[in-house]
Amino acid sequence: MSIVSINDIEFGMELGPWLPDTALANSTAVANAVGWLNAPRFTSHEGGRKEGLPGALVPGILGMGFLCALIHREIPAARIQKVDCVFRATLIADQPCTVTAVVTDIDTDTRTAELDLLIRNDAGETRIVGTATICMPA
Amino acid sequence: MVDIEELKSKYLNLEFARLDFVVDAEKSAIVARVSGETRPEFIDPAHPEFEVFPAYIASLSSGRHLPINFPSLGGIPVDGGKAVTSIKPVPAGVSLDGRTHLHDIYDKSGRSGRMIFLVSRMKIYDAAENLLALADSRMVIRERSDA
Repeated sequence: MSIVSINDIEFGMELGPWLPDTALANSTAVANAVGWLNAPRFTSHEGGRKEGLPGALVPGILGMGFLCALIHREIPAARIQKVDCVFRATLIADQPCTVTAVVTDIDTDTRTAELDLLIRNDAGETRIVGTATICMPA
Repeated sequence: MVDIEELKSKYLNLEFARLDFVVDAEKSAIVARVSGETRPEFIDPAHPEFEVFPAYIASLSSGRHLPINFPSLGGIPVDGGKAVTSIKPVPAGVSLDGRTHLHDIYDKSGRSGRMIFLVSRMKIYDAAENLLALADSRMVIRERSDA
């Protein structure tokens, strides 16, 4: 079903699961784009291990990007008013993760909806949690 | 033990950093594309309604954003999270002004001790003084026992 207005959104509606591309090249691209030019923890597994990590990290902001992309993919008419992410644990590049969201509140007067956001790794462990407020067109 | 209320009374809501910057549209679009974003106004810099991707906005508040005289609390700050509030679309290629203050300080205690959370907030304005977005960065510091 195409979601074009606040009336198309239902309490408890689930978005995803979606498997974003966690390739190391994407972490590297983000690190370079935002100016973290000397951050081997995002650009090489060896660099991450030298810092005591299991491998190269997916930057937290890329995790936030995955969550925003999920919302826009499933509700293209939505405008994200607020997105808030808590980085609970590290997300490792080149390891699959699953991105989901669920609608937790709807306000038809303001045409807004609240969503709980979640990224899990392939072991099912929670890595990033968050919330978002979206606004739908009139 | 650090007195959270005292820290709040001394440091909250006082602007301590100001930065003029211009967002490179292509760099924002790269972050959007590798995130899997599909909406053209985020991934195509030539789109007439192109705007900066929220995750790129979040990157603007990265790093150790604390007042210069803020006391040391012990451990190394860890990136605990980010939040972006969009008030108006943030354009690329134009002069923007980021003003940062400490927005919140709070603590949580657990079995491994007390964690202190510092939320710095960058308010992003355009040249006409319109508030466009808020970028919050949540730093977490495990309190050192002798702090």
